[in-house]
Amino acid sequence: MERIILNLKIALGALGNHRLRTVLAVLGVFFGTLSLVIVGNLSDSLSLKTEQEVDSLGKNLVIVFSGQLRRHGPRFPLATRATNLTLDDATAILYAFPHAKEVSPSGMKAFPVRYQNTVLKAVAVNGVAPNFAEVRNFEIASGSPITEDDEKNQRKVAVLGPTTAEKLFGDENPVGKTILIRRVPVQVIGVTVAKGSDISGADQDNQIFVPLKTFLRNFTNKEYVNSIYVQAAGDSVIPSLQKEIVALLRIRHKIRDGMKDDFTVVDLKDVNTLKSDAMGMITILGRTAAAASFLIGALGILSIMILIVNERRMEIGIRRAVGSRKKDIILQFLLESSFISVTGGLIGILIGMMASLVIARVLSYPATISVPGLITAFGASALSGVIAGIYPSFKAIQVNPVDIIRS
Amino acid sequence: MNPLCLMENVKKTFRIGEDLSVEVLKGIDLKVDEGEFIAIMGTSGSGKSTLMNLIGCLDVPTSGRYLLAGREVLGLLDDDLSELRNTHIGFVFQSFYLLPYATVLENVLLPTLYREKTAGHVERRAAEILKLVGLEKRMNFRPNRLSGGEQQRVALCRALMNDPEIILADEPTGQLDSKTASEIMNLLSDLNKKGKTVIVVTHDATIASYAGRVIHIKDGIIIDE
Repeated sequence: MERIILNLKIALGALGNHRLRTVLAVLGVFFGTLSLVIVGNLSDSLSLKTEQEVDSLGKNLVIVFSGQLRRHGPRFPLATRATNLTLDDATAILYAFPHAKEVSPSGMKAFPVRYQNTVLKAVAVNGVAPNFAEVRNFEIASGSPITEDDEKNQRKVAVLGPTTAEKLFGDENPVGKTILIRRVPVQVIGVTVAKGSDISGADQDNQIFVPLKTFLRNFTNKEYVNSIYVQAAGDSVIPSLQKEIVALLRIRHKIRDGMKDDFTVVDLKDVNTLKSDAMGMITILGRTAAAASFLIGALGILSIMILIVNERRMEIGIRRAVGSRKKDIILQFLLESSFISVTGGLIGILIGMMASLVIARVLSYPATISVPGLITAFGASALSGVIAGIYPSFKAIQVNPVDIIRS
Repeated sequence: MNPLCLMENVKKTFRIGEDLSVEVLKGIDLKVDEGEFIAIMGTSGSGKSTLMNLIGCLDVPTSGRYLLAGREVLGLLDDDLSELRNTHIGFVFQSFYLLPYATVLENVLLPTLYREKTAGHVERRAAEILKLVGLEKRMNFRPNRLSGGEQQRVALCRALMNDPEIILADEPTGQLDSKTASEIMNLLSDLNKKGKTVIVVTHDATIASYAGRVIHIKDGIIIDE
């Protein structure tokens, strides 16, 4: 260990004459590890985030939307509207396919909502089936959920999202209070647990749930719903279920061959796949950038090591004269070149971790540290130094001490 | 007692190109006992530098026999030669050959990097040796801040660091003025009195006069002892 330190001290002295070149070589490796660490951490963050989003939306979900959805873009605005997705469609899906474990039709429309003097101009009001909480993975924080009884009797009751409850009631307990939804008095019976935004980016905590029947009769006065959430019996049946639902609805909606669907069936896995495809691209780009940086870094180290070996021929001759073996010389120069690269690597890892934490925070992703990413980055930096040092160290052992001493 | 160095009919031939070779040493017989102070004298081109390289195991003879500390040098591997140099020989050169970017102490410590077993506190030992030559206060200086005589004393310390039997000095005073030269030669004499075997290669008769035995070499053979 003492020997390594002494060797490094001497090497640092020699590198001191080439500060700019050394810094450039270090920079190459620095950028390489930086991008590896950031890409590793962020892709971990993203998959964690997507997982959380999917779980928060509900397990094994296939969603039928009324109308055509625009598939590209961060949200899912309707490209065309349709008014023919009905409760009968939902019932048909449930009875036609054994793989459809639960169906939960729901309608959604924004209404003004008022409690005493507080008025919210447009809150998303959802008419939901009693099984909605289970299918969509909503939990009740206080009060009670919407029941079969509420649905059957078309009761004017509501469950609030925590954000809406806060906006309307502040610190007050909303359960038992009466609010006005589009001038209809509705009794608050519960508040859901906070869930954050869903996979399309919509805030799931700023909405109101009412029984579906109440929603259709008292608020919209229509017979159609906006979406049907279908819970599949398992992960593996989702693709076939998706196709079956499309076929069934085309028949029920009397859509002839060659005409477009007036509904959209979304598998959340599709959304996942889109996202992970995008991340895959970013990962590939990041890795390519990292590889290029490592190459540049390694070439930088190679050039500085060749320079330094030439400049230190006297040193090599003296070291050989005082008893160094050829392998000592090789080890010495490999140590020096990997020292340069590992320095860049460690700085890159440090700054990369900080940068990815900042990026995760800005994108409001969960911050993760990818340990395999760190190990890969460190390994790559050390390896690029060792590889860059091979040729110069073999140049070094060709120095014959006799030639040095004679001159 | 066995001699420290024993050369019998040592020849050294250098190949120059395809079929041209030059015989630089044409049969050297030399015996050096422990504790001797020897000067090897000769003009440039006489073969004295080649002889020094052979004695110092920087090179191997083309033919003949060379025993250093009882070991046959001819046919040894490069690693073994390194080990012989590391343990038995301390080199002092005309141009000092100190590493300019390392401190005096680091320069003196250089031979310890290649010792299998280092005797514990190498830095303390280096400091003691530097004190012996009066440079203990310059340990953390870079060589370029020292005078020529001081630099050569640092080089001498480096040669002594691994406590070798032989100090091999090649024109050690070639770049020094006569006053500094005599200081260095007195140091070598002192070392010799303490038991070190000293071999000085020189063309300067004044330097050779410090030696107990002078060997003249000309055209690759020893002409006079």
